[in-house]
Amino acid sequence: MKKTSQFLILSLIAFVSLISGTAYTNASEKPNYVITTDATYPPFDFQDKNNQYTGIDQEILKTIAKREGFTYTLKPMSFNAATQSVSSDQADGVIAGMSITDERKAVYDFGTPYYRSGIGWAVKKGSNIKALKDLKGKTVALKTGTSGADYALSIQKEYGFKVTYFNDSDTLYNDVINDNAQATFGDLPVIQYAVKNGTKLKVMNPKAPIQAGWYGFAVKKGQNAKLLASFNHGFAEIKKDGTYDKIVAKYLGASAATFTGSKKDNSTVMGILNANRNAFLQGLWQTVILTVFAIVLASIWGILLGVMGVSQLPWIRAISTTIIYLFRGLPLMVLAFFIYIGLPGVIGTKIPAFTAGLLTLILNEGAYTAAFVRGGFEAVDRGQMEAARSLGLPYSKSMRRVIMPQGLKIMIPSFINQFIITLKDTSILSAIGILELTQTGSLIVSRNSQGFRVWAIVAVIYLIVITLLTWLSNWVEKRTRA
Amino acid sequence: MSEAQKKVKVHVDKVNKSYGDNHVLRDISLDIAENEVVVMIGPSGSGKSTFLRMLNQLETQDDGTIVVDGFDISDKKTDINKVRENIGMVFQNFNLFNNYTVLENIMLAPVELGKLDKVAAEKKARELLDTVGLADKADVSVNSLSGGQKQRIAIARALAMSPDIMLFDEPTSALDPEMVGDVLEVMKNLADSGMTMIIVTHEMGFAKQVADRVVFFESGKIQESGAPEQVFNAPKNARLQEFLSKVMHA
Repeated sequence: MKKTSQFLILSLIAFVSLISGTAYTNASEKPNYVITTDATYPPFDFQDKNNQYTGIDQEILKTIAKREGFTYTLKPMSFNAATQSVSSDQADGVIAGMSITDERKAVYDFGTPYYRSGIGWAVKKGSNIKALKDLKGKTVALKTGTSGADYALSIQKEYGFKVTYFNDSDTLYNDVINDNAQATFGDLPVIQYAVKNGTKLKVMNPKAPIQAGWYGFAVKKGQNAKLLASFNHGFAEIKKDGTYDKIVAKYLGASAATFTGSKKDNSTVMGILNANRNAFLQGLWQTVILTVFAIVLASIWGILLGVMGVSQLPWIRAISTTIIYLFRGLPLMVLAFFIYIGLPGVIGTKIPAFTAGLLTLILNEGAYTAAFVRGGFEAVDRGQMEAARSLGLPYSKSMRRVIMPQGLKIMIPSFINQFIITLKDTSILSAIGILELTQTGSLIVSRNSQGFRVWAIVAVIYLIVITLLTWLSNWVEKRTRA
Repeated sequence: MSEAQKKVKVHVDKVNKSYGDNHVLRDISLDIAENEVVVMIGPSGSGKSTFLRMLNQLETQDDGTIVVDGFDISDKKTDINKVRENIGMVFQNFNLFNNYTVLENIMLAPVELGKLDKVAAEKKARELLDTVGLADKADVSVNSLSGGQKQRIAIARALAMSPDIMLFDEPTSALDPEMVGDVLEVMKNLADSGMTMIIVTHEMGFAKQVADRVVFFESGKIQESGAPEQVFNAPKNARLQEFLSKVMHA
């Protein structure tokens, strides 16, 4: 039973990979690694104005890779997803301003410590919070899975504050600036860099990092020893010849605008659109591709399940009901994490993010589709089936010729509705690092801090696409009525 | 007993049916001969419609035997679809296929079941439409028809399979009064042509006129049956007398 289900999962994944065209990268003579990183962690990891990932981490990694003769595919995502991808074998290594802690050493092997860091805490500029004891009853914003979050939790009882979690730094800072939260704990150099670049926060312990420690490049414990050795060897080289110091000075010495474009570009909607045209277009394209594949495949899967749901055979109906119950009951994001981060450890194969995302959409939207397909068939007057059967038509022919055509007509509005939901649900897949429209928006905001304008642009793009989709659907509906 | 010498088309022996505690049919036995027209009357809930729907297995019996055209349809191994091809059925609510035109409704079953090719099926459909007086409606959508027209199309649809038995389940109950006559006219012509017909109806006048035999159902039992003159003019069963006094004065 277990073998069969494993085989089923594998073949499903293979099938989806095949049609989504995201087969794994071919092995060349140079080793190629998948490295994850935090998508928004300046000055260590962030996108520059040309949508290239840059920062201290990225420049170190790039330089070492070149010298040591390996190539890598970079996967930017949330910090939490970035580290978990490595521990679940979805990626080979992670460089993401990741503090070396004893707890993490149990799961990861760290390379040579490359940057001295520690935890800092910050409040909104002008806040009347002067010391940790003033945090009583206040809310503290934390980034999921970070050592800053761990530290805050360890002192939470003592100081009596509430906590709230975020996946990217920029949203977190804005939460404090907007006074939803009153303080944040995070890596000191990162907060300092944000403050230096105009984030309206005040660092409370600029000279005295808490739990001072080091950042390290990490691989899963006991694996990728060769990659780790290459990193350490390369790091020793760049440390010795001064390249490392140059890289650090380059990012800490310059203002963010050097990398992310001028203020002028960011102060108008048109400026932001112009500066990020390619990023928006690529994000939109990814969203559209995901939506189109998901709509087509989820509809096929949903209709199949729905038809099974009105089968004459009780056990086929039971299979359909169970699958619908299962995948309608799971939150989309849980399903995405399960497939992307959970499943590879069990089946022993990497699942590319796009494939995992598409699979998630097919299973989730397909279950909803199946439910209304089954309902649509059941909504056809019983007399229609009786009349067909009374003429001698077998059950299957009666379904195909009489019930289904009428049922599908009843379902058309539900289909249109489901298509729109599918389009919107693609945004949830930003959580597993798919660079679709929402993730694109996050990344742009993380480097220009123009939350209002960027999210307004993203919202309008979604509305335009949804309007087009609705028009298309209505046009098709009218044609089927004629 | 001249009926008994004719070929038996429908043989029902000790059939029972319950819905939970509700015993709707109790030990019903009935034989129907070829070319016979049997009209089943009785108060609503008496079991007559359930009995009719059992004759083509739209309802299944709890026990008992039903043999139609020599096939034991109460036996699960019998291919019910094949037997149904020879049993036409007309419903109270017409049940025309909403996704097809009038002509397509009539042609669907013969074509799908390989009885006729498309050309022959269309020719037959048009002839049947002519017989029921609706030749001009061939290409319209069924939703644009009146109830009386719909029921005549439904009869034509059933006849397209060339059945030798026709079942009618209150065919005029859902019709406006002025439509009833057209439908009964078609049914009368069918009876005159020698079709074996089993009809559940409240049209007592029609029953008198066309029935060879009238069967009175009450409380899941056949309380009385016989020639129409006998059943209507000299009822013996007290419940039949009561029923008739109600419907005749309504």
